Amino acid sequence: MPLTETGLKQPVKASAADMLKININPVPDDQKVEAAIKHLNELGQKFRSLMLTFESCVKCGACAENCHTYLGTRDPYNIPANRADLLRKVYKRYFTPEGRFFPRLIGAKDLELEDLEKMFSYFYQCNECRRCALVCPFGLDTCEVTMAGRQLLHWLGMVPKLHAAVGAAMAKTGNHTGLTKAGIVDTCEFLEEEIMDETGVEIKIPVDQPADILYIPSSADFLLNPNTMTGAAKFFHYLGVKWTISSEITEAGNFGLLFDQRATLRANCMRVIDEALKLGVKKIVWGECGHGWRAGKMYLPGMLDRPGRIPIVHIHDEVRYYIEKGALKLHKEVNSRPVTLHDPCNFGRACNMCDTLRVVMNACVTNFVEMTPNRERNFCCGGGSAILFDDPEMYDLRIKFSAKKAEQVRETGVGKNGDGILCAPCSICKAQLYPMVEEHELGVEVKGLIDLVGLALYPPLNK
Amino acid sequence: MTYFILQILPYISVSVLIIGLLYRMGRWASGRIVHNITLTPAPTTQAGALLDIAAEVVFFKSLYKADKSLWSGGWIMHVALFSILGGHIMGIGLLGLQFYYIGLTSEHTSEYLSNLLGTSFGVVVLLALLYLLYRRMAINEVKQLSAPSDYLHLLMLIAIVTVGNIMRFVPEWGIHYEPVRDYVANLLTFTPITPDMEVMHKPLFVLHLLLVQILMIYLPFSKLLHIPGMFAHRWIINRPYVEPAPGMPGVAVGGTGHAVSGGQSASGGVQ
Amino acid sequence: MAFIEVNGQQIEVDEDGFLLNPDTWSEDVARYFAKEEGIDELTEDHWKVIKYLRDYFFQFGIAPMVRKLCKDTGFSLKGIYELFPTGPAKGACKLAGLPKPTGCV
Repeated sequence: MPLTETGLKQPVKASAADMLKININPVPDDQKVEAAIKHLNELGQKFRSLMLTFESCVKCGACAENCHTYLGTRDPYNIPANRADLLRKVYKRYFTPEGRFFPRLIGAKDLELEDLEKMFSYFYQCNECRRCALVCPFGLDTCEVTMAGRQLLHWLGMVPKLHAAVGAAMAKTGNHTGLTKAGIVDTCEFLEEEIMDETGVEIKIPVDQPADILYIPSSADFLLNPNTMTGAAKFFHYLGVKWTISSEITEAGNFGLLFDQRATLRANCMRVIDEALKLGVKKIVWGECGHGWRAGKMYLPGMLDRPGRIPIVHIHDEVRYYIEKGALKLHKEVNSRPVTLHDPCNFGRACNMCDTLRVVMNACVTNFVEMTPNRERNFCCGGGSAILFDDPEMYDLRIKFSAKKAEQVRETGVGKNGDGILCAPCSICKAQLYPMVEEHELGVEVKGLIDLVGLALYPPLNK
Repeated sequence: MTYFILQILPYISVSVLIIGLLYRMGRWASGRIVHNITLTPAPTTQAGALLDIAAEVVFFKSLYKADKSLWSGGWIMHVALFSILGGHIMGIGLLGLQFYYIGLTSEHTSEYLSNLLGTSFGVVVLLALLYLLYRRMAINEVKQLSAPSDYLHLLMLIAIVTVGNIMRFVPEWGIHYEPVRDYVANLLTFTPITPDMEVMHKPLFVLHLLLVQILMIYLPFSKLLHIPGMFAHRWIINRPYVEPAPGMPGVAVGGTGHAVSGGQSASGGVQ
Repeated sequence: MAFIEVNGQQIEVDEDGFLLNPDTWSEDVARYFAKEEGIDELTEDHWKVIKYLRDYFFQFGIAPMVRKLCKDTGFSLKGIYELFPTGPAKGACKLAGLPKPTGCV
């Protein structure tokens, strides 16, 4: 690949065969530029937020020092305004009078094939964390540009293998990791045994059962985060509600938000609602997943092409509600290790959940230390928008992107005795932080928030 | 040439400004707010959202929290610039007697205050603009972001402000409020200006006006669109959001039905 | 598509070097991958994990939860990492000829 020789870091691209599985026939190289311009026009005309971000940026640079990808790499293209410029320059050149007549003066440029490769590199180095939107004096949202850029690249057939594989797995099995129903049932039985061993309480994790509540877990909970799944099960059991998970939609995440909003995001949203209506549930409760909850809370209601009258809430909001009603007896002394909280970007800046996380946290642990900055000003873990690539070059970038997070965690001092907990209630954060706390030697264990709730509801027998 | 700048160009520049802005804002309006991309924590009422937007517009709240030095330069520059714009309307429209008309001061003091404020803000805005220019050239990140036009916008404002300041500080090169008021009145009433009018014989005034008109002409085709753009984009991301009510169906709340002892729940198993 | 050559046979792998089709797996393939992963020799412990993963995969169509893998094979997570330095998902699954796990892992 000649471009990697020039220093452009890119994740592994999906092959043509992979792309066909998500219904995209890659555009041949000699037609890419033309197709990209056509798509860019459509996107610009459709999204007001995108057009405004293209036309109103004054290049003040306030975003630079507030973006952890730039802080970690000092790569000028990781300055949010500059990242957006990859697309903005092209947009201006073709679709604004000033760019048509004075391209050099205003910094507009013709689109070339190489620019698309550059976009593929840098739009997949953006965590879509929206900290730039928070600090921008006009609230211009580079995340919108990244999303548009990734959508455009998707239509051209340029998608990371990871994202394309997830899209294909989702379409086939209803979850990102390709869990089969047999696998889900077996894992749930295993987890039921685990709960029994741990607490001595018989708690069931119903799969595809008639119920009032449809719980949408993250499929990563079935591979890496068992305590997140059991935590949710303990909570529902404690309340005594009729709940179930569905083998048709065992996925809180929605990678469509991250690379293909037009088709994949919509399809995954519809899948949730179709299943909820099929099961006849009264309520959908979302699991620990940051971008997925943003999709479920903010995007889903506007994407349905059938009426959606089933309330959708997040499990943390439910836990908070019952804590405030005094309905939960939480043995917070079980969680006495020092804990700090990483506010997932999508929870903080897109889903209004900062207060909730703290109410739940304070009710479940005895030694909670805030990191700085926190809440909506928190920095991303460096894995946001699922750039969880593991080829050496991209993995190295993940380490750099998480440098700011590591610094924040170190400053709290929770890991100084090696027994700290870094609570990261989001599957992508967890997947990113499991290796990163080792890379940065932070002395903390990564856990979800509902994990801690579960422990406090049903204290382990041996404690 | 002077005649063109004073008599013909104003109608062109104002038309271009208005039509240009309408064209750009019309384009924005034709795009949709496709998804709910509200930044949180969000207020729950429309009034709360408008208050948020107002705080951003008036105080540059987000920028203040993010970058204090840029905020100082940027906020001071904008406030001084808007004060000067207001001052132009007051000075030319009310001949600097605005403080007299609201009953605060005597006629003389009012004009004196008007001059003093105008001169002071003129200096302040110049200093702020020079800082912003320095910042654009000195801070590596901002430099990497800048296109030639980014410098030109600053240089243009600096030129306009400098000419204005010279007119303030060198009285014989300046001009009084009355002749300008008469000139503006002529423009507004479509009355032709005459060669004996004072404005025709003040080269710096003509230059000042020319530069401002050039700015007005390119404003709708430049990043200066951030003025309406700020309102338009804040309107998208600073919105009220009302949370759906939590609470599970079929759950009695308030401790009843949850006889909890020794960490064991008495609430029934799930069928 | 990339291929690896084991015992003179061309076997198709994906961009990350995982087997495209788990049925093309053989013990020699595992040994080939072991060399790639920097594992000198496949011991009985390695084979135990690999066999367990393959059995589970062919029964349930998916890799088991990491905790289940540990419990059923009797190794701690640390033990698994000692056996397969790149971890259960990317190391052990690869040697066992399972497809690369996707999603937030």
